[in-house]
Amino acid sequence: MSKEIEVARDVLQDNRENAASNRRRFGREGVYVVNLMSGPGAGKTTLLERTAEELGKRVRMAVITGDIATTRDADRIGRHGVPTLQINTGGACHIEAHQIARAADDLKAGHFTWELSQGSQTLPRWSAAGEAGGLPTRLDLLVIENVGNLVCPAEFDLGEHDKVMMLSCTEGHDKPGKYPLMFQESRALILNKMDLQPHTNFDVAAALADARAINPSIEVIKMSAWKGEGLQAWFDWLLARMAATRRM
Amino acid sequence: MHETSVAQRMVDTAIEVADQNGGGRVVGMRLLLGEMTCVEPDTLSFAFGVVSRGTRVEGCALEIVRVPTRLRCRACGAERGGDLLELCACGTPGGEVLAGRELRLDTIDIDDQAALPAGEQP
Repeated sequence: MSKEIEVARDVLQDNRENAASNRRRFGREGVYVVNLMSGPGAGKTTLLERTAEELGKRVRMAVITGDIATTRDADRIGRHGVPTLQINTGGACHIEAHQIARAADDLKAGHFTWELSQGSQTLPRWSAAGEAGGLPTRLDLLVIENVGNLVCPAEFDLGEHDKVMMLSCTEGHDKPGKYPLMFQESRALILNKMDLQPHTNFDVAAALADARAINPSIEVIKMSAWKGEGLQAWFDWLLARMAATRRM
Repeated sequence: MHETSVAQRMVDTAIEVADQNGGGRVVGMRLLLGEMTCVEPDTLSFAFGVVSRGTRVEGCALEIVRVPTRLRCRACGAERGGDLLELCACGTPGGEVLAGRELRLDTIDIDDQAALPAGEQP
């Protein structure tokens, strides 16, 4: 004889709890955390290189970057003098909240991937501005570069303040409609590779109409991270969100 | 694409709940899966069969109940089904998601008479 037992439990409850714990921690530590998501090859790493180059001089910034394999992204971003930690998901298509908790601990302890792979000749720029030992004892901005994927990262809350979605012209304007969840949950949408738009059939109005149908309040930043156009709007947006979350 | 990690959590949760209820084999399970949730039912069933192997959940009958999407219009408040890009009768797209994001373990069936697998003898 079998008996039925009511469970009524969210299967991803453990991730939600870990994300809530991350959120409390980030609030306590006063760091603004943004989760940057896109399909593979949209330009997240290039944007973070530019961001590290520019904002890394002005705020205490660190990056956690997720990929299935290699430390190539951490090497690229860390070269610009910002503590960067690589998470290798080993085949998994997304980052989970417990991995962020561990990575944040590692960052705090000074274990940055770029230090291991590049030698320790490059100290974080802000370490010169009075932080003991060059360790990120206090951060202003933590960017999580999620695994390139348009499907799975939407299901896994990491405890971030904001999700930001990046879509590049070469991917096609139909993507917001075809992969609605990630666009629905994002505060901002970056349209990247705008320099290539004249050479593609990417219809900006159609992409934005779908994105806004799914998420009417989504903020839009058009840029070419590679050419540098539109980067200032992104820096301003990040600084404004950092200030706004600090006031909360 | 993350069906395996979802299946692993379902097996772990079922074992935990079975333990809290006097132990035994988990012979049935009902999962509520929203239509908007990015989990593919066939892949999940396959992954569930693989990760439950050798545990007391092995051979469990998995029932996946699809939960249809329900939206509430941001303009007029009317509720409707369909997807986010379909317009409400008032002409507004999108809406607040009331249902369709579920990934919820609803019930499990436990057989406390059945023998446990060798690795899980109490």
